[in-house]
Amino acid sequence: MNQKLMFKYFTSFLFLFIIAQSFGQTQKDSTNYKTGYGIRLGVDISKPIMGLLDENYKGLEFVGDYRLRKNLYLAAEIGTETNTTSDDYFKTTAKGSYLKIGLNLNAYENWLDMNNEILVGFRYGLSNFDQTLDSYTINTGSDYFPGNPIEIGTISKDLKAHWIELVLGIKAETFKNLYLGFSFSYNILLSIDDPQGFKSLYVPGFNTVFQTNTGFGFNYTISYTIPFFKK
Amino acid sequence: MKKIFLFLLFITLVFASCEKDDICLETTTPKLILRFYDVASTSDVKAVQRLSVWAEGKDTLTQYKNISLDSIALPLDVNATQTIYHLKRNQVSGNKVNNEYATITINYVTEEIYVSRSCGFKSNFSSVGFSIDNGWIQSIASLNNLSINNESKAHVQIFH
Repeated sequence: MNQKLMFKYFTSFLFLFIIAQSFGQTQKDSTNYKTGYGIRLGVDISKPIMGLLDENYKGLEFVGDYRLRKNLYLAAEIGTETNTTSDDYFKTTAKGSYLKIGLNLNAYENWLDMNNEILVGFRYGLSNFDQTLDSYTINTGSDYFPGNPIEIGTISKDLKAHWIELVLGIKAETFKNLYLGFSFSYNILLSIDDPQGFKSLYVPGFNTVFQTNTGFGFNYTISYTIPFFKK
Repeated sequence: MKKIFLFLLFITLVFASCEKDDICLETTTPKLILRFYDVASTSDVKAVQRLSVWAEGKDTLTQYKNISLDSIALPLDVNATQTIYHLKRNQVSGNKVNNEYATITINYVTEEIYVSRSCGFKSNFSSVGFSIDNGWIQSIASLNNLSINNESKAHVQIFH
């Protein structure tokens, strides 16, 4: 099933490239308009909202980027998450913080002095987290002797994970220097610590770990550019 | 820009909707497999006629109710270290007067093992020991210090 999901994902990827391509072709402007360079700081608004809607989730993420060239940004995210997942036979809680750093390339050719972005990027991510096995039930494979639910609460502390992300996103300047953004990422684990006799199933910043050691993430950001100079 | 925003929103919804992606396909807690042999000729399999099986204090297992079989797979109680099974057979005609009974007591140590997100934890059994009463089962044979961690072959031979 994961492969099917990946396939869907790449199809969507392809669509985005086509869109980006068509924008690139329609806009040819020889005049050079100056745009602001600086540091952009923001917050992911989806995580606090998800925290309000879902009592099993808490999260906060700050985002930032620095414009290196006309179409190139150094980007980073830092955040914390606490997430409780109830699976069929057990309940686990992951809690920890993470940092992601990488580059964004703007594939969107702006009109005049507009500052919108269609981003293609990558990140290196790392997380330090604890995982708690809150409760579990032995899968006996039979209704005759079902397993009893066992409340256990075993904490595995100081687990580490490293991964890379492919990022796709957009940012739109809604007011002067104020941006609304959405990005979507496909994550691939490089390494992960598993608790003794168990597995790390959710990593803060990475999201749910699928059996293939991959995952998906997204954020909705609101961010503000502190302009340093124009170029 | 707005169109793209909507498009990306759509993608998120699509992915959010196909979240739970795996079902349990791995093997989980193994059952105890018993095979019935002829006591007079110990290498020959001998089916038990009109067999019914139930655990102490429980209903008859639905798949083993008045049935003729030469091997059965019994679930063990993972919440305890002992399971007692009662086996009733009727070799003659099915009349109540011909019912014969036997009891097998199985002692073991459980070992919990993580399988996967969708299958959860299973339990294997080690240091498995058996005892029988003086019913229709003449004798029993199994490995010393038996472990039950798969269902690929019989764990116990029952002679009758």
